[in-house]
Amino acid sequence: MRKFMIGESNAVKKYVFMILLLSFLSACSLNENAAELYKQETPLKLEIQTPDTFTAGEQETVKATLTQDGKPADHTDFVHFEIWKQDGTVHYGMEEAGNEGGGVYSISKDFDKDGLYFVKVHAQQGGSLIMPQKQFIVGELSKSDVEFLQKGTGKQEAGQGHHH
Amino acid sequence: METVKETADIQKPPQTNTSLYRTVWRWHFYAGIIFAPFLFILAVTGAIYLFKPQIEGVLYQDYYEVTPQDEKISASQQIEEVKKQYPDAAVTVYRPGESADRSSEVGIVNNDESLTVFINPYTGESLGALNSEDRIMDKIEEFHGELMAGTLGDRIVELAACWAVVLIVTGLYLWFPKKRPGMGGVLFPRLNRGKKTFRRDLHAVPAFWVTAGMLFLIMTGLPWSGFWGTNFQSMATNTGEGYPPSVWVGSGPQSTIQTKDIADVPWAAENLDVPVSDLQGFIPLSIDDVVSAAEREGVHPSYSIYIPQDKTGVYTISAFPPKAQDEITMHVDQYTGAVLTDYRYDHYGWIGKLVAWGITLHKGTQFGLINQLISLFICLGIILVVVSGYYLWLKRKPKKDMGAPKTAGFNNTKGFFLLLIAMGVLFPLVGLTIIAVLIIDFFLIRRIPALKRFLNA
Repeated sequence: MRKFMIGESNAVKKYVFMILLLSFLSACSLNENAAELYKQETPLKLEIQTPDTFTAGEQETVKATLTQDGKPADHTDFVHFEIWKQDGTVHYGMEEAGNEGGGVYSISKDFDKDGLYFVKVHAQQGGSLIMPQKQFIVGELSKSDVEFLQKGTGKQEAGQGHHH
Repeated sequence: METVKETADIQKPPQTNTSLYRTVWRWHFYAGIIFAPFLFILAVTGAIYLFKPQIEGVLYQDYYEVTPQDEKISASQQIEEVKKQYPDAAVTVYRPGESADRSSEVGIVNNDESLTVFINPYTGESLGALNSEDRIMDKIEEFHGELMAGTLGDRIVELAACWAVVLIVTGLYLWFPKKRPGMGGVLFPRLNRGKKTFRRDLHAVPAFWVTAGMLFLIMTGLPWSGFWGTNFQSMATNTGEGYPPSVWVGSGPQSTIQTKDIADVPWAAENLDVPVSDLQGFIPLSIDDVVSAAEREGVHPSYSIYIPQDKTGVYTISAFPPKAQDEITMHVDQYTGAVLTDYRYDHYGWIGKLVAWGITLHKGTQFGLINQLISLFICLGIILVVVSGYYLWLKRKPKKDMGAPKTAGFNNTKGFFLLLIAMGVLFPLVGLTIIAVLIIDFFLIRRIPALKRFLNA
């Protein structure tokens, strides 16, 4: 009988241990903010504003608002804009953007032909290099533009070589 | 009974330790009989998997080797070639190949099958495709990691590995030299003391020699087990001293671009079925920009690029080359190309570094051939110990029962049970099985005389 008692109390102890264990285990899922404990990057972030309306014969302004680590990026190494039309009939090569202050950079160009356009921004600050590309529409889309969009790749490269 | 006497005669332990010795032996005996077959499987599959680089190098030579030429074509062109062959496939990964004479690889999912298409990066020509299902080394890995039985298999492997620690601890106690002159039966087998002694030495002596190696393989293997490993990795990551999140546990960052600013893709062929304003927006980077980011940031040439499959995803550049120090996991925004995280070996916490070294040593890649040979030796040792353990049992086993050492009560065994509980806490699956054993013991074995007799309980 004595042996039984010891065996039982051992089992009870182990139940207690198991309960402790399970509560301990459920507590060890990954902490959402764990990344903050390790090396962090401060990527450049941006928004690109393309014009809403286009007037023939006038220049329109494309703007990029850059931020890094929550602050306006006004110490960039460079900010270059490149703009072209999907069918290749318009191409404004890589050009330094005007600095409007407060992390806002802009370029003004003619958009007299209707169709699908792309703007690519190349920017660098504090070791973070970005090269986002945005598509925007001037007036009506051509048949070739629609076909391009429907191919669904969403990818088109600038006509010229890589920038580095 | 006879077996007990024999050992008792040889060891002549002081009376107070007999019950402890028997209890330890009993646990070693049953744990061995139950888990040794799994350890055997792990050792055999592990011994083969160690040589994966050499084996795959021979098996897939035609897929791997290309003749270097002047210039490689771009990653996007190579992927286009694959898309021509598999128009409906989703491209998931691109691996450029670490040397000039190595093909590049494009991983795709085609009709629910994952294929690797090997491409000659100089010509864009396909060298053939391998279905992951057909790769023998993948099968061996699956066998080694989960007995080809999914999660259940993973838990069984983990259980066997954890119980192997119990076997090591109890085995060391049984092996530990008592008052006996010389190192015979301790460091080398005694050849002239009769068959029974030799059989015992054939198990205990090699077991001692491979103990350190075996414990090393278990402890380095456990971090990638499904239950213990995942919890361990999460805890380590949470302390800031493990792997950074997303290297092992946790997900990577998301794109810095808001979903509403991303361009939609129209699907219908006849008309634009999305508002024109939704067509305006950011479009994903070309993979070529990600390749140049990898080259710019000095990533180890064996890297792969994992391609995001949804709008908020990011490109993941990762390399887990033979040496732990060369590891890297980098996330690149799929729209801006910004490096969002750049985790290298140097950025791991000390636990992460230790685990990383453990993994490359376990896989035998860290030090190349010499590493593989040492690990192979340990595997062969484990196989010998398992086989000799079974042989020892079968030779000693009386016909009518298991031949287990008789249960010895709980006198003087408090320390041992505390140790078992500690193991059960450290390895919860061991804890759960100990509880299961005690429940079965209490409710079945002690109440069914025939069972009790058979198991010597």
